[in-house]
Amino acid sequence: MTDDARKFTSISRRAIVAGAGASLAAPFSFNIARAQQGNIKVGFPVPLTGPYGAEAQDQVRAAQVAIAEFNETGGLKGRMAELLVRDDKLNPGEAATRALELVEGDKVDFVVGSLSAAVQLAVNNVTKARKVLYNSISQSDTINEAKDFSPYTFHEALNPHMTAGAVGRYAFQKFGKKVVFLTADYAYGYEMVNGFQAAGKAFGIETLADIRHPLGATDFSALLPRIQALKPDILIISNFGRDQQIALKQATDFGMKKQMKIVAPILLYTGRLAAGAQAFDGVVGGTSYYWGMEKTTPSAKVFNDRFRKMHDGKVPSDYGSLAYAGVKTFLMAARAAGSTASEAVIPAMEALKYDYYKGPEYYRKCDHQSVQSVFIIESKNAPANDPDVFNIVATDEPNEANLRTCQELGHT
Amino acid sequence: MTLERTTGRPARSSAAFREAGALGWARRHRAALAAAVILVFPLIAPFKALAVLILVYGLYALGFNLLFGYLGVLSFGHSALFGAGAYLCGIAFVHFGAPWWAAIIVGAVSGMIVAAIIGALAIRTRGIYFAMVTLALSQCVYYLFYEAVGWTGGENGLRGVDVKTIDLFGLHLDFVDPLTRYYVLAAFVIASLFVLSRILASPFGAVIEAVRENEARARASGYNVPLVRFVAFVLSGGFCGLAGALLALHLSIVPIETLHYDTSGLVVMMSLLGGMGTFFGPFIGAAIFLMLENLVSLWTVHWQLIVGAAFVICVLFFPRGLWGTLLERLEK
Repeated sequence: MTDDARKFTSISRRAIVAGAGASLAAPFSFNIARAQQGNIKVGFPVPLTGPYGAEAQDQVRAAQVAIAEFNETGGLKGRMAELLVRDDKLNPGEAATRALELVEGDKVDFVVGSLSAAVQLAVNNVTKARKVLYNSISQSDTINEAKDFSPYTFHEALNPHMTAGAVGRYAFQKFGKKVVFLTADYAYGYEMVNGFQAAGKAFGIETLADIRHPLGATDFSALLPRIQALKPDILIISNFGRDQQIALKQATDFGMKKQMKIVAPILLYTGRLAAGAQAFDGVVGGTSYYWGMEKTTPSAKVFNDRFRKMHDGKVPSDYGSLAYAGVKTFLMAARAAGSTASEAVIPAMEALKYDYYKGPEYYRKCDHQSVQSVFIIESKNAPANDPDVFNIVATDEPNEANLRTCQELGHT
Repeated sequence: MTLERTTGRPARSSAAFREAGALGWARRHRAALAAAVILVFPLIAPFKALAVLILVYGLYALGFNLLFGYLGVLSFGHSALFGAGAYLCGIAFVHFGAPWWAAIIVGAVSGMIVAAIIGALAIRTRGIYFAMVTLALSQCVYYLFYEAVGWTGGENGLRGVDVKTIDLFGLHLDFVDPLTRYYVLAAFVIASLFVLSRILASPFGAVIEAVRENEARARASGYNVPLVRFVAFVLSGGFCGLAGALLALHLSIVPIETLHYDTSGLVVMMSLLGGMGTFFGPFIGAAIFLMLENLVSLWTVHWQLIVGAAFVICVLFFPRGLWGTLLERLEK
């Protein structure tokens, strides 16, 4: 009797565990089943948690705008688009797993996303093997190269060569030829320095020093006097996020802005808002988009207004806007092709000449790099909480000559 | 202090395997039962990619547990073994055009080689010192691979470990298909389970546990304790290297994060969550950890909050880990 009772309880315990497992899995299998009814699915892995979480959430907001616009205008023959947001945790392994789940489990039509060079290469490696279209929305030079490229790979973001080139051409001509680099010691920093060096050749710049600092540095005070002693015309600070904010703040405190011009390849809108006007005052850098250009660019005005309407009056950030364009190009190309099949959408993407938010753009055929303008911006002394923090001082118009050639990248 | 006594219960000698009842039967056939679980697992897993990931990290945790649970030595450098296995498998495949099975062997062997190097340097230290030395050496391995950009892709990671099809005994398998990929990789994991079970059931397995329970007594009984520790570390490296190699084939990339100390911490967490010193506990720990993290993050951005709370609950109510506590209850 007691034996039987024990057996019974042990079975029911197992049943409970199994039941719990099944109920845990149930909502997800439901999701998968529902998703096969013909919606156009756009997988969207971005680092919602981690140091770039704020940027990633802005990317999601912008992507939602693209999805909403597409659905309001009738979708693709009545097929509506949906966005499947996943957290890649800024980790390439996680991102590859998310991409596998999106492609194999959710059977997405397109993948758009990423906010790091390594992550986009990981996602790209997964999608290209499965012939799924991927549009990367963060900077990388490597993804353009023949080794990583595939016909299924698109790159809506700028790459370091374009960005540093545009900023370099502006700065070397205006501020002088003697240059010191202060560079974060990882791929992003190196690629930016290479971009500046390539652009600087035409101007005959003289590199006085290339000083490397470890990623996540909190103190630059040991390096700054050395830079002051070199007396350069320009100090180029190639780092990102918090590193950039701290470096600029300390350079300001050292009074370096009076001795030289400080230039950064990318000035982040969110970074400038976080660090405040003083640290960034007078610093010149590049960006793919600044919302303030709506005064002169009609498509920017349309996009910003739509974004404000959907998201409580907020304005889109630079990286956010890339997500908008990255999602929208796929959807519009699918509409033009009348299909979401990769083989049909690729030629439609290659044929696209679009102006969705920043002026004219198109994808170069050999590496699917978006040929687009780069804006040179200067931080201005705006009061706190004022979203208008940059002046656009120059525009590097879309031009394939500013990209590395297809031969250089290894495309035949 | 040393960690040898953390489990605080008598060594499960081979006599324990002869105990009567269902539990004894299950214990005698632990590898076969674990294999059965692995075979049916994809049927209940929400995503096949997640299921494969659980396989890989499960094997990684099993390999780690050989050292942590059975030998009673805490290593904080296992990412070096796991990552080296992944990278060298990938390098063999990408740069030397090795067939997939040879690349897997390379991965497992390189896990053992790296373990032998680290082990030779670290094995005589004890407790927290062993943890620190292995952590430091694994960081050396990390920078070695990070700097060798031509071979490893450096920061960007190694790409192109693309196994598309597998031809085996006249069978033509599509490795891109998630279920096929699962079962091909599962074959390696199941084989490892049997090997591991055999090792633990062997006289050497008994010696490992004897060293954990009382090192002085083991030495007095004539066992060469440093050698036992060294061999256990190298064997552990083999399993972890194999797990790394399977990860490389599964993801088709090797991210530099596999060598990061986070990956070392992760496996400690998984082993503790499932139950260190139990045969299948670490695997369960890996499964629960990854399921929680992946499924909750699908549902909310604030997944860390929920996963964190779940851990606190596990620590409070399942002090021997989920599987370990369950086994303990069943034993009563």
